[in-house]
Amino acid sequence: MSSDLDFAPAEDVHYGPVGRLYHGLTTVDFVGKRRIWFAVSLTIIVLGLGSLAIRGFNFGIDFKGGSSWEVLAPHTNVVDMTNAVRAVGLPEPVVAKLGSETYQVTADINSLSSSAAATMTTNVVDAMARIAHVNPDQVSTSNVGPTWGGQITHKALEALIVFFIAVVAYISLRFEPKMAVAAFIAMVHDLLVTVGVYSLFGFQITPDTVIAILTILGYSLYDTVVVFDRVRDNTQGVLKSGDLTYSDMVNLSMNQTLARSINTSLVAILPVLAVLLIGADLLGATTLQNYGLALFVGLTSGAYSSIFIASPLLAWMKEREPRYRDLAARVNVRMDRRVLTATSAALAGAQLSSAAARPQRTSAVTGTIQARGRKQKRR
Amino acid sequence: MPPQVGSRRSLIVSLVLVVVIAFGSLAATLSLGWGPKLGLDLAGGLSVVYKPATPASNADMQEVVTILTNRVDGLGVSGATVNLQSKNVVVSVPGVTDARAVLAAVGQTAQLLFRPVLCEAAVGTKLVSYAHKTLPTCAAQYQDTAANLAVNPSTGNSNSIAPDPAFTNIKSTPPLDDVPGKTVILPLLGDPAVRYVLGPSELTGHAVKRAIAQQNQIGAWVVNYTLTSTGSPAWDKVADQNFHQLLAIELDGVVQSAPLIQPDQATFTSFDGAGEISGNFTEASAKNLALAMNFGALPVRLDPLTTKTVSATLGHSALIAGLGAGLAGLALVLLYTVLYYRALGLVILLGLSVTAALLWAIISALGHTAFAPSFDLAGVTGLIVSIGITVDSYIVYFERLKDEARAGRSVRSSVDRGFRSAWRTVLAADTVSLLAAVLLYIIAVGDVKGFAFFLGLSTLMDVFITWYFTRPLVVLLGRRSSASTSALSMAAGMQAGSRNAAVPVGVSSE
Repeated sequence: MSSDLDFAPAEDVHYGPVGRLYHGLTTVDFVGKRRIWFAVSLTIIVLGLGSLAIRGFNFGIDFKGGSSWEVLAPHTNVVDMTNAVRAVGLPEPVVAKLGSETYQVTADINSLSSSAAATMTTNVVDAMARIAHVNPDQVSTSNVGPTWGGQITHKALEALIVFFIAVVAYISLRFEPKMAVAAFIAMVHDLLVTVGVYSLFGFQITPDTVIAILTILGYSLYDTVVVFDRVRDNTQGVLKSGDLTYSDMVNLSMNQTLARSINTSLVAILPVLAVLLIGADLLGATTLQNYGLALFVGLTSGAYSSIFIASPLLAWMKEREPRYRDLAARVNVRMDRRVLTATSAALAGAQLSSAAARPQRTSAVTGTIQARGRKQKRR
Repeated sequence: MPPQVGSRRSLIVSLVLVVVIAFGSLAATLSLGWGPKLGLDLAGGLSVVYKPATPASNADMQEVVTILTNRVDGLGVSGATVNLQSKNVVVSVPGVTDARAVLAAVGQTAQLLFRPVLCEAAVGTKLVSYAHKTLPTCAAQYQDTAANLAVNPSTGNSNSIAPDPAFTNIKSTPPLDDVPGKTVILPLLGDPAVRYVLGPSELTGHAVKRAIAQQNQIGAWVVNYTLTSTGSPAWDKVADQNFHQLLAIELDGVVQSAPLIQPDQATFTSFDGAGEISGNFTEASAKNLALAMNFGALPVRLDPLTTKTVSATLGHSALIAGLGAGLAGLALVLLYTVLYYRALGLVILLGLSVTAALLWAIISALGHTAFAPSFDLAGVTGLIVSIGITVDSYIVYFERLKDEARAGRSVRSSVDRGFRSAWRTVLAADTVSLLAAVLLYIIAVGDVKGFAFFLGLSTLMDVFITWYFTRPLVVLLGRRSSASTSALSMAAGMQAGSRNAAVPVGVSSE
C-alpha cells in the first residue's frame, strides 16, 4: 500500500470519462449547474403536460371498458384475423399482433345486452379459434366493465398518498425535513415525467402501468436515500472543516456516489430492458410489456432526479440557512470554489484522521447510528 | 456501538449456515416436488371480479363469498378461490380447460326466486317492449288457476291451457325491470318458444338448503331438495297458496322450471322440509336446476366488473417469457458486475445464487399455504425489479470499499469499515423499498398485491443476505487477501495500490 498521502494523487494520470468514474476522479459541479438540470427536466415535464392537455392519455380497455381476445396463431395475419372477427359481426375490431405469434382483438361490446354480449364473445372466440386452427379454449378473453380501471386507479392513488406521507415522515425522522422535501419533489418530478412521456408517445395506460409507476417512485426514493445518506455523512464528518460550503459537500457526496448511482441504475435498468425486449417483444406477454415500459421510463427518470434534482435542490435549500450562508460567505472570501474528487476527499479524510489532527471528527466517522440520530435532531 | 463485524469463527459459522439453509431448503422443496402456486396468467384459467350492484353489508358480502365458493366447488375444479378485495368479489379458477362452461355456471349471479305462474304466453313475430309500468292481467280463461288446471289427483294430469294471445307480441322482461316485486314475462330454460307471465316473487332461494339431481325409480331425472328450518314453513305457506298450480323457479331472468304443486294429492300436505321436482328433465337440465337452487340465492345482485380467461398455451408462453426475461436480465447484470468489479463480481454471483435458492424455496413453500398470493406475471416482475435492489446492496458496499482503499487503508480494515457505513445505507434504502411494498400490499387491489408481496419478500431477503452472507464472505476474503495475491484478491475489484496504473478498468496491478 502506498503511504504517501497528498491531496491530488492521481490527477496527473490521464483517464477517459469511464476511467475517471471508476477511479473516483470525477469533478462534476452538480449544484452549480443546477439551472441546466432543472431546465432539462422542466422542458420534458412541460412538453409532457402540454401533450396531456391536448391529447390526453391512451387508456387501455381496463379504463374505458371493453373486450379483448388473444390467441396464439403462428400461421395467420392481421388482415385475415380482422376479416374473421368482422364476419361474425364484431363492431369496429382493432387487431394487433403482439410479439411474433400472438394476435389480440379489441372491441367495445359493452353497449350490447348481456346475453348478446355473451353470444358475441362466443362467436368471436370460435372465429379466432378457427382461423388459428386451435380449440376455442385456447383463446384468452377479457371483458372489462367501464368502472374497473377507475377502481384500481383510485386504490393506487390512495396508496400513493399514504406512501408520500410515510416517506416524508421517515426521511424527516431518519435524516432531516429538508431532505424529505427534496426527495418528495424528486418523486413528483418522476411522476410528472413518466406521465408526460406516456401521453407524449401515446403509450397505453393499463392498471399494470399504475403499479409500475408506484414502484418507480419507491425506487427513485431508494436511490435518493443512498445519496442523502452520504451527504449526511459528509456534512457531519471529517470534511466539516470550514473549508467547504454545503454545496461543495453535496457536490463531493454526489461525485463520491456517482459510480454507485450509475452502476445501480444500470443494474436496475438491465433486467427491465430484458423484460421489455425479451419478455414482451419476442414472446408477446403484454403484462410484462406494460410493466417494462413504465419501469424503463421511470427508472431512467428516477436515476436522473436523484442525481440532478434532489441533491441540487437540497443544497439550494440548505444554503438559505443562516449558518451555511455564513459558511459560504467565509469560504468564498478565502478561496475559489472547487469540487473535490472522491479520491482526494478520501485521502484528505484519511490524512486528517491518521494525523489525529481532529480526533473528534474521526470519532464522528466511526460513531454510532444512535449518536448521529440524536445529533440530527438538535440541528 | 456500531454493528460488530464479528470474529473469524462467527463469520464462518454464519456463512456456512446461510449456504446450508438456502440450498438445504431448496433441495427439500425440490425433493418434495413443491413448486410455486402459479397465477392465472401463467397457468391459464379464469378470473372474474364482481361488484355488488347495490351497497351491501360486510355480512352480505361474506355470504356471497360462501355461496360463490360452493358454486365453484360444485363444478369440480380444484384450486379455485373466491375472496373479497375491499367490496369486490374475486373469483379465480386456475388451470381450467373450458373456461366458458365455468363462466356460465359461476356467472349466474341473480337471485333465485319462486313466482306463481299466472298464464302462459306465446312468442310472436313482432315483439315490442311493453310501454306501461305493469303488464296486463291474464284473461280469465287463460289463467293457470287451480280451477282452470283441474288437476286429477289420481292420474296427476291437468288440463292444458293455451297461452294468452294478449301477451304474444310483448317482449320478455329485460333484466333491469326483472325485480322480485313486479309481474314479469320470462322465457323457459331450454325452450324459448314457451314463456310464462309470473306474479311477484313469494319466496327466494334462501329457503333452499340443498338440491340434488337424481334419477327416480323409473329412470326419469328429478331434482330432490331440502329446505332450511326457516325456509320449510315459508315454503309450505307458498305451496299451500299455489296448491295444484304452477310455481316457477326463476334464476337470472329465465324460468328454470315451473312444476305443478302436489298433483298426486287431493289436499295440501306439508312438505316437511323436503320435496321433489319432476318434469321433462334431461340429465343436464336437472343438474342445472339443482345447481341453480343450491347456489342461486345471493343476498345481493352482482355485476361483473371484469372477466378474464387466459388459455393454458398463452399462460405457458407468458411463463417462458417471464423466466426468459428474468434470466437474461440476471445474466446481463452479472456480466456487467463481473466486468466492473472483477473478483468482487463473483461475490455478487455467489450471493445471488444463495438468494435465488432461498427465494425459490420460500415461494414454493408458500405455494402450499393459503396465505401467499399466487405467483403471477406481476410477481415475476416484482422479482425482476428486486434484482436491481439486491445487487445495489453489493454496489453500495463495494463503492465504499473503493473509498476506503482510496484513503490508503489496507484491504483488511477497509472491509470492516466499509461494511459498517454500507450497512447503514442498505438498511435505510431497503426500509424505503419495504415501506412501498407493504403499503401497496395493504392498500392496492388485484395484481398489485402479488407484485408488492414478492417485492417485499425479496427486499427482506436482501437485508438478510447482506448481513449473514455478504458480510462474512467479503470480510473473510479481505482478511485473507492481505497475505495473499490469489485471483480472489480484493484488490482486483478496488484499485487499492493501483493508483499509478494507467489501466482504466480495474486490473490488479499489485
